[in-house]
Amino acid sequence: MDSSELPTVVSITEDSLDLDALLGAITLPSTGAAAIFSGMVRGVTARENPHETLYLEYEAYRPMAEEVMGRIAAEIRERWPSVEGIALVQRIGRLYPGTPTVLIACTAPHRDTGVFEAARYGIDRLKEIVPIWKKEVGPGGAVWIEGEHPTAGEG
Amino acid sequence: MSRLKLLLFASLREAAGARSLELELPAGATVADLKRRLVAERPALARWSESLKVAVDRHYAGDEAVIPDGAEIALIPPVSGG
Repeated sequence: MDSSELPTVVSITEDSLDLDALLGAITLPSTGAAAIFSGMVRGVTARENPHETLYLEYEAYRPMAEEVMGRIAAEIRERWPSVEGIALVQRIGRLYPGTPTVLIACTAPHRDTGVFEAARYGIDRLKEIVPIWKKEVGPGGAVWIEGEHPTAGEG
Repeated sequence: MSRLKLLLFASLREAAGARSLELELPAGATVADLKRRLVAERPALARWSESLKVAVDRHYAGDEAVIPDGAEIALIPPVSGG
């Protein structure tokens, strides 16, 4: 199948993430496996600098974010040609602990075709280059989380 | 000279107190020229000068890239999606 006919969902949304609907959108008659990663707001952090989080406030440069997510999907297809469907969805707005914030899913005919690695690559790249930001609000105040520095020429 | 509109996000947007700002730059100016002018006009934004990336027409652009007329320009502080 031409990769342009394979289902790709990339989106920045203010709505709650609907795993069933998303999986349905990237499942073909030949699909037998899906690897799914979801990140959620962590209320209590134990590692490194232990602290509590009241909520996260996400924002995105939406048109560019969706374009860059589309480019990441193309990178996944290049590296794992057996991947059938790809979904990269980031929720934005104010999100409280326990709430899923991001959903990455890749489907394939079988599980031993690289789908796990493909989904892992998707979330790593999203964190690296997609123009999305979060402000963490805790009992002591608010701070913008400054993560990765995208490199020119990427995305 | 051309007048450019820069889109601002996250910590930069809060520091500038606006979603966008305007800068005058000569025709043929590069991303490096833009960063220099930005810090000169808005010293409050200087702390981002090292970490800031510039997106031109929704692609990350290097310091040497020339800014085309009428381009969509965004200032991108370090990202933290996920």
